[in-house]
Amino acid sequence: MNRLLIDVGSTYFKVSSQENIEQHFRDFNKDILDDLKFKCSKTIECYKKDDVYICSSANGGLSTLIIGLTNSFSLKYAKNIAFNSGINIIESVMYQNLADYSIPSDLIDVVIIVGGINTNKDIFKDDLYEYLKMLNYSNIVFVGCENEAQKLEKNIQNLVILPNIIDEKLHIVEENLKEYLTNLYQLDIEGKEDIKNLYEITANQIYSTPYIVNKTLPFIHIKFGVVDPFILIDIGGATTDIHYSKDLVDDNIVTENEYDRLVFKKLGVYKSKESLIFAAQNNEFVYELLSYLKVTENIFSDESQKGTKVLMQLAIFLVLTKMSHYKQSYINLKLLSINSIVFTGGITKVLSASEIEEIISFFYKKILNSQHNPMTVLDSNYDIWTIGVKGDDNVN
Amino acid sequence: MKVVTGVVGNDIHVVANRLIELSLNARGFEVFNLGVNTYLEEFFDAVVETGAEVLLISSLNGEAEGWSREIKLLKASYKNLDNLVMMIGGNLVVGSGDADEIVPKYKNYGFDLVFHQVDLNTGLDTLEEYLKQRGMR
Repeated sequence: MNRLLIDVGSTYFKVSSQENIEQHFRDFNKDILDDLKFKCSKTIECYKKDDVYICSSANGGLSTLIIGLTNSFSLKYAKNIAFNSGINIIESVMYQNLADYSIPSDLIDVVIIVGGINTNKDIFKDDLYEYLKMLNYSNIVFVGCENEAQKLEKNIQNLVILPNIIDEKLHIVEENLKEYLTNLYQLDIEGKEDIKNLYEITANQIYSTPYIVNKTLPFIHIKFGVVDPFILIDIGGATTDIHYSKDLVDDNIVTENEYDRLVFKKLGVYKSKESLIFAAQNNEFVYELLSYLKVTENIFSDESQKGTKVLMQLAIFLVLTKMSHYKQSYINLKLLSINSIVFTGGITKVLSASEIEEIISFFYKKILNSQHNPMTVLDSNYDIWTIGVKGDDNVN
Repeated sequence: MKVVTGVVGNDIHVVANRLIELSLNARGFEVFNLGVNTYLEEFFDAVVETGAEVLLISSLNGEAEGWSREIKLLKASYKNLDNLVMMIGGNLVVGSGDADEIVPKYKNYGFDLVFHQVDLNTGLDTLEEYLKQRGMR
């Protein structure tokens, strides 16, 4: 079937037709649709609305605050579901320490309250309601202990109650919250003028790009010689996304999904360039890395292609370090077990395979003290995204 | 009554862990078994999520000693665990050791009931007796 696939990113948009794939730097002074029509009108005009499929990560997604009972279960599970639903901005608060957290001043798109198995009781008290009164939020959902639901519903206006995400064996139950968040994301996209206008050229639902990428992973072998287990790194303009096979985590999360997603929200090479440089400057190995790349600190203020290349190399190093056991974080991956690292996004247009391999090899030697050398796979033609958008057609 | 159990630290003695679960079930406890290789924070977090009254940690290869030193500090960071009954059992030191020295040491770490190389049923009988004395069962 001949389809036109469009991905609207924070920095570029990509347009993929049967014949070729185009990539254009966005003009931020223009509405997305106008910009798109200006640059690719001939291509777009060749397709009917039914045959145009669009995904977007351009509007940053929903901002989320999770209030949960523990790091090992409720907060971890809710975070996992939110990431897998395509949400980038996630703050979490441990309920017992509510008083220690500062109150976020920005509008929160969705507050998630979670905690306790269904047979637990008397978990949430008045301090929760007081805290919520100080927040500025648009949606609120409870996905915790059934016994608490009625009480919370009485005390919290517009509270949506969904089935508990923790079952009686302390396992995660994803589907209901995932569906709720994905739908909310859609509503959010539809509500944003810029994206809303895109429905002029498509009759299909506009999905979030990370959601599409995550859907692709089970089919990745169709196009790529990837050896399991693998990780996929998408270094974009605003964020860096990691999709990883669950074999790489020692974890108490048992789900039917084979792959999870993790986001480093301020690690991008355009919109988040300043915070990327800040993170790099605070890494103890960065000067060694710069000398390995034969550049100096001045490269941070270099606006040329060379500067972008080094920033992307730094982003790869920082991301791998953040996921390794060298730094304790939300998820630590068994990086010595991976056989392939797949790169997608703008990075594949800037760095060559050998420039990426240079950094990976530095990382393994320096941080993990190992000669391990996973295979590098570059998705230079955005196949990962096109496979995901085509969805079920891949298996037919 | 709810009990959270599991094997602490880098210890994969899964058979003993399963036997503990079966024995607790047979005695009418509702068991939340975290399995082997469990970290201390996960034990306490599971207690909070389930509302368990008893935490039973087992250790077969002596790992418990290193981990247990952290117990008081970690437990103090939770606000509602003052009434939790803390029990540990198994082989609590590396090599052989004298229970008369080991038991007080672990009680000092914060455990209410300590069983070093004591058979499972004796340990669980003592737990039930202890719960009765505290009016919990």
